[in-house]
Amino acid sequence: MSNFRIALRMARRELRGGIAGFRVFLGALALGVAAIAGIGTIASAISAGLDSDARTMLGGDVAVRLMHRAAGAEELAYLQKIGDVSRAVLFRAIARVPGTETSALVEFKAVDRAYPLYGAAELDPPAALRTALGLADGAYGAVCDESLLDRLGLKIGDVVAVGAARFRINATIPYEPDRLSGGRTINLGPRFMASDDALAATELIKPGSLTTYLYRLRLPPGAMVHGVVEDLRHAFPSAGWIVQDTTQDTPFVSRFVDRTILFLTVVGLTALLVGGVGVGNAVRHYLGTKTETIATLKCLGASASLIFMIYLAQIMVMAIAGTAIGLVIGGFAPAVLAPVIAREFALVIDVGIYPGPLAVAAAFGLLTALSFTLWPVARACEVPAARLFRDVLVAHRPPGRTYIAATGIAAAALAALAIYAAPDRKLAVWFVGGALAAMAAFRLTGLGAERAARLLPSFGSARLRLALANLHRPGAATAGVVMSLGLGVTVLVAVALIEANLGRQIAESLPRRAPAFYFLDIQPDQAAAFETAARSVPGVEEIRRTPMLRGRISAINGVPVEQANVAPRAQWVLDSDRGITWSAQPPPGTRIVAGRWWPADYRGEPLVSFDASTASGFGVGIGDTITVNILGRDITARIASLRRIEWGSLAMNFLMIFSPGMIEGAPQTELATVRATEAAEVPLERAVSARFTNVTPIRVREVLANIAETLEKIAGAVRVAAAVTVAAGVLVLAGAIAAGQRRRAYESVVLKVLGATRAKVLAVHAIEYGMLGLITAVAAAAFGTLAAWAVVTRIMRLEWAFLPGPAIATALVALVLTLAAGLAGTWLALGRKALPYLRNP
Amino acid sequence: MNHATIIDLDDVHLMLESAGGSVNILRGITLKVGAGDTVSVVGPSGSGKTSLLMVIAGLERQTSGRIAVAGADLARLDEDGLARLRRDAIGIVFQNFHLVPTMTALENVAIPLEFAGASGAFARAEECLDSVGLAHRLTHYPGQLSGGEQQRVALARAFAARPKLILADEPTGNLDGTTGQHVIDLLFALSASHGTTLLLVTHNPALAQRCRREVRLVDGRIANGAA
Repeated sequence: MSNFRIALRMARRELRGGIAGFRVFLGALALGVAAIAGIGTIASAISAGLDSDARTMLGGDVAVRLMHRAAGAEELAYLQKIGDVSRAVLFRAIARVPGTETSALVEFKAVDRAYPLYGAAELDPPAALRTALGLADGAYGAVCDESLLDRLGLKIGDVVAVGAARFRINATIPYEPDRLSGGRTINLGPRFMASDDALAATELIKPGSLTTYLYRLRLPPGAMVHGVVEDLRHAFPSAGWIVQDTTQDTPFVSRFVDRTILFLTVVGLTALLVGGVGVGNAVRHYLGTKTETIATLKCLGASASLIFMIYLAQIMVMAIAGTAIGLVIGGFAPAVLAPVIAREFALVIDVGIYPGPLAVAAAFGLLTALSFTLWPVARACEVPAARLFRDVLVAHRPPGRTYIAATGIAAAALAALAIYAAPDRKLAVWFVGGALAAMAAFRLTGLGAERAARLLPSFGSARLRLALANLHRPGAATAGVVMSLGLGVTVLVAVALIEANLGRQIAESLPRRAPAFYFLDIQPDQAAAFETAARSVPGVEEIRRTPMLRGRISAINGVPVEQANVAPRAQWVLDSDRGITWSAQPPPGTRIVAGRWWPADYRGEPLVSFDASTASGFGVGIGDTITVNILGRDITARIASLRRIEWGSLAMNFLMIFSPGMIEGAPQTELATVRATEAAEVPLERAVSARFTNVTPIRVREVLANIAETLEKIAGAVRVAAAVTVAAGVLVLAGAIAAGQRRRAYESVVLKVLGATRAKVLAVHAIEYGMLGLITAVAAAAFGTLAAWAVVTRIMRLEWAFLPGPAIATALVALVLTLAAGLAGTWLALGRKALPYLRNP
Repeated sequence: MNHATIIDLDDVHLMLESAGGSVNILRGITLKVGAGDTVSVVGPSGSGKTSLLMVIAGLERQTSGRIAVAGADLARLDEDGLARLRRDAIGIVFQNFHLVPTMTALENVAIPLEFAGASGAFARAEECLDSVGLAHRLTHYPGQLSGGEQQRVALARAFAARPKLILADEPTGNLDGTTGQHVIDLLFALSASHGTTLLLVTHNPALAQRCRREVRLVDGRIANGAA
């Protein structure tokens, strides 16, 4: 019979002893695998939801997007030849309650009779969209988000004015099938939907207005979508339109989902890592109870390799079971969370079983189990058989090189899988490095704490002396608890600090540095009057104006963008139109990092000052060319300088600033930023809106509130994942405490025999676990702060502030948990009867 | 009796390291035991009796000197070689029985046969249990057996692979007088019927006298009975 078969047979017999010794093992592994499987499955379910719903979300089989202008007659005729066409016009506007000064910024969407080509809008109260948008009693019909009614204090049936037109709000629109389409990265206000007929009546569409024209096409059955996209790009090469099919839609949604999933994955991997520590501890404890059996088998002639196989087989059977439990929990997570994801993130997810992420999670689970158990199993196999004859004077040999190599290979495979499976491999490499560093740091902290407890001078207090001795006696849980709970709490501290830093940026730093308002669509002939009106409002501190157009980058160094090799981080620039301006002088605060600004009287070939970061993503530098399509006309400019732009400052930043002479002639509007005191914001908005109905004020404070709301949702998801990590840590803690339960009970009995009261015994353990929790809390606060600092400054490139509140509050969790779990164990131990512990065997 | 030498120790020393420094456990043991012989090892606590058993079983490496068991020079065998030697040639009986608690009596006895890849391991294990009077306890776990029954299972296990040598360390140390007597009777009967060499460590003078030869250890040296 082969050794392998003997090992399996022996393993099966050994497992008859029950799985009580594997509870923590199963729990820790299942939790880690469930986190990975759940996050992976949700990511797949969201992707599948985006894919299966893609036509509805895009609004057609193909979408053509134009900025500033509607499609010309020839272009429209071409589109109509291809299939059914539906047009939607999107812009931002102010909705006012007639007769009051109440107003709100809205995302206006004018739709034609064919809208929507796919899917259907849901209205409340239920009605046909056409009916709800129809003209009745001198007012156009409209539907809007419920939040607009709240903001304006209106109810269904009330009337609002947008521009020169009046609208009766006939319903709210809880579901708008193509809401995420249209190239907007962020919605600044609630949706306001009206009919195409009402658009002209608003009188808001002026030359150069920031208006998006969306043409959605429904192709006849059998038509090749890809062919149509190519035709449209080639038929009108200078149209400057962005043509998308369902495979390219909603890049910003995908990016948002990818980023969120990435953070969740990192947290999930940490949960698995913590689970791994628990697995290792549990295996060590289990094998500790098997010492006698292992020695017996050796006496009976089993080789070390056979014993290794016997115990590895048992542990891998348990690992498969733990992984399977985790897969079941993780696999069903999307079904449970689908309503929450739909409500909070407006994403329809496709609930189902996704074998891909489940297979990855299973591989993670088994590799984690292998990485954390090979070493303890190999060590246990080195138990000298002489142990059966006596415990003393028997040296424990370290495992051989083969086992060291095997452990190294398993750990390397785990790291490789973490990197391979991550959506962002560079970040995953950092994560693996950080995780190794954190584990090493916690190990050193634990060992350092044990050593410090040993070296501390003897205290007069017996309780303190006993508690300190417990921290360093042989088999102490100190190192294990510090590592496992410490890792979990580190993640929690890091998440809390990152969130607090982002919150601080949005609530404090940005409003202080950013302007109070952006005013869009100021017509050139209104500019002077606008400035006078704005300056007349007390509290207005600074007004900056600049001409603004929208244009789409169509070629890089003469290569069409579709064929250009662009780094993923710079791809967003090509996803949509970008704001552009021109200037003779460098705007105040410009930081040129390469090249030079053109002379003030420059009148030569078109030059452009370009964003340095995007330039590196495009692989271009000084002297290279960028072609921009503005209103259907391609303008090629040579890069004269590169600027470092701080997008996070929310100041007036332009990706591209052109030299004077080329684009002044194009229809354009002005963009103004106004700095004002908070008290001046409302009067300023009213003063401008009253005189310039076509000018759209964007209040930065409101935008930041919107961003904060989104951020809060993401943070909520990450917090849930972080809680799983802490749960894994608590499980490991409970396991470590349970492993020492017999010793604790025996100690309690002896102390009671010697006259100690229950309170005294409890006090000893309260000090012991208090110190253990404190060490863990301090270490986790330190490492969590370091991790948060790295993420905030290196990945998010934001200002860092150490905020002790969240760090301390979170780290205290470690202290409380350790103390609670430790004292619970002691309380149970105190209840044990003395006799069984004192009787000689 | 077959006069081939089954145990051959020549000037064997054993020194172990401990927290308090090196301890000389065995100090130049020279001992020959012929095949089929029965030898008791007696001596005060700490005289090195159990250590002698361990070096003979290959569970502890001697510091110096030569040990041959069943014709094999132990110094030439690696860990796995020693394990195979125990599997094929040595049976060990412990004071604390050391049965595997998760295995039935039958499975415990079958272990060395299974390790050796013997065919019909369970049938032979059943015969062995029958020979110690436990045919009715085959499917019982150690926890369901009395101390005497557990030691009888351990005897059956030690003899299952028909070893040339049985090493017994205080086999009655955890048993009451009557039960111990029954176990010892069985041990000697089995040794005689299999022609197995028996090396028995004991504190019990009466038990020691049942062996053909007595070796007395004092302070790691053979005080008498070396020849």
